[in-house]
Amino acid sequence: MKKILIVDDDPNIRDYLVSLLEDNGYATCTANDVRDGLKIAKAEQPDLITLDLEMPGEWGPRFYRQISQDKDLKNVPVIVISGLSGNDYAISKAVATLSKPFDREELLSLIKENIL
Amino acid sequence: MAEKILLIDNSESHARALKLYLERSRLSVLIASSSGEMEKQFEKRDFDILLVDPFFQGGDISAVIEKFKAVNPMVQVIVFCEKKHIDKAMDNLGSVAINFLERPVNSKALDLAVVHAKRCISNERRLANYSQRLSDLQNAQALYHQLFNESPCYISVQNRDLRITAANTLFQRDFGKQIGGHCYEIYKHRESPCPDCPVVQTFEDGKSRNTEEIVTSISGKQYNVLTQTAPIIDDNGEITQVMEMSTNITQIRQLQDHLSSLGLMLGSMSHGVKGMLTALDGGIYQMESGMKKNDPERTEKAFELIKQMADRIKKMVLEILYYAKSRELQYESVGSVEMFNTVISTITNLAANNNVAIKTQIPQNLGEIEIDPNWVQSALVNLAENAVDACRYDNDKDKDSHQVEFSMWEEKDAAGEKICISICDNGMGMDQETREKMFTLFFTSKGSQGTGLGLFIANRVIKQHGGSISVKSSPGKGTCFELWLPRKRSDVSMVEKSIESLHKTKNCSTEGVMIKETIMDSGLNDASYH
Repeated sequence: MKKILIVDDDPNIRDYLVSLLEDNGYATCTANDVRDGLKIAKAEQPDLITLDLEMPGEWGPRFYRQISQDKDLKNVPVIVISGLSGNDYAISKAVATLSKPFDREELLSLIKENIL
Repeated sequence: MAEKILLIDNSESHARALKLYLERSRLSVLIASSSGEMEKQFEKRDFDILLVDPFFQGGDISAVIEKFKAVNPMVQVIVFCEKKHIDKAMDNLGSVAINFLERPVNSKALDLAVVHAKRCISNERRLANYSQRLSDLQNAQALYHQLFNESPCYISVQNRDLRITAANTLFQRDFGKQIGGHCYEIYKHRESPCPDCPVVQTFEDGKSRNTEEIVTSISGKQYNVLTQTAPIIDDNGEITQVMEMSTNITQIRQLQDHLSSLGLMLGSMSHGVKGMLTALDGGIYQMESGMKKNDPERTEKAFELIKQMADRIKKMVLEILYYAKSRELQYESVGSVEMFNTVISTITNLAANNNVAIKTQIPQNLGEIEIDPNWVQSALVNLAENAVDACRYDNDKDKDSHQVEFSMWEEKDAAGEKICISICDNGMGMDQETREKMFTLFFTSKGSQGTGLGLFIANRVIKQHGGSISVKSSPGKGTCFELWLPRKRSDVSMVEKSIESLHKTKNCSTEGVMIKETIMDSGLNDASYH
């Protein structure tokens, strides 16, 4: 089963993504900030990551920079899901960027296309 | 201009002789030798000198002459008559005629009399001219004085010491009648000249200056004014004084402030709104799938989430509405204790779910209070929720239990009766920075859970009611909010209150801008590493 890491500080949105992705046949793991996210990414080696940009402490772009320097994680596709406007430019190498509130069919098809 | 003479004489031969004599001196002469002709000539008034024998046709026409002279003061009267009548003529026309000649008229005496009359005519013409000009001048002066005084802006004239030497009515109304005082004292309540004073600069180079200033009136109100200066130059081309003309643009600035902070607010809240909408989507999805899967636990949890999100969105929308329109308070008389108990009941569940005890010190009855219950209650609910949150998020393991204490009492002082409220918790407390910023627009210590509007609006609502709010807090020990509201509707006019709160908003919004810029900066910096 493919595994997806969800990084978001809002517990309600994490719950939503967990239910949605598990209902569609993915395994999930979650992190509520960048530090946790890095730890869990290294431990769990996910096949795809959804990433929020604005979180307490360090922000999403820093998370991306860190994993892109990690030899095991640098090829893991990242989908940005954020409420910031103009978020398309924040992480230009993300495979996709969605704005909150997002369309769930769009997210599912993006995952299907990009997952390793 | 040759003077015209009307000659009134009984004797036609004498009259003709006089006419011939006078015409040689380039004077034009009309003759009236009957009372009918005299009346006709008096009607036409086409002469400057009246040469007349008052004992005309056996009668005495002194009264007619006197009457004519009264109506035509510019006409000079020369009287001639028989020597025996001359005393009588002088008695009758002493105040009217400039000369009295004997018949037959001596030519030299006539010449002198005519010269005298001419001089009188020219003097009187000049005098009339002068007085006309003088009255024009007075009218003009009155007009300019009126323009100066009635101009719908503040006008003052200042000398090189920056003392006000003249000020118009509006200026005197709003800034007092202290002509002679320093402008910086009167306009800004300062003790020294303002830096970059436009008046000083105009004194230096004679050029007009435009600046925008904030000035303080005698009643303490602050006005934004657009100030223009102009030099006043004397006959030698020296700048002796400078005129300062200030237009009150307070209303425009207030509107601008309000609009810009409204835009700023919508901008900085959109992130929170988007998060809420996403969570709402999540709730709907989970409810839908819970029902499909026949999973009551999931459905119920989803329903709770949807309710919670609906509440948060409702609250946020109401806060935006409150901010977007400075609406007038809808005063009602309500029971103080009942109102406060309603507030406490709204957070009872939240407190119980989080193991926070509620204590109250509220008397049975404190009488009625005049407030807008909707806004006061929502302000108090905000404070109460904060108190519970401060306990919820307190990670101090040493504390046995958490509690929020609600108290209410009355006080009386010179200003009148007050209803006082305190809401104290033993939660996490606030450090100094949080304490200082907590009433600021958009400041939140709750991350994505807070909008940064709650306390800002709570503070504003209390102030708008003429009350006051204060806070004591120490990190780790807890927080105590204390506030009072006047029992009777405050006398301070709503306009003043809203102006005051708008001024506060201005200060807050600048901070908001800085915070937002920092966010954008860090976002861009991160992006630029790629």
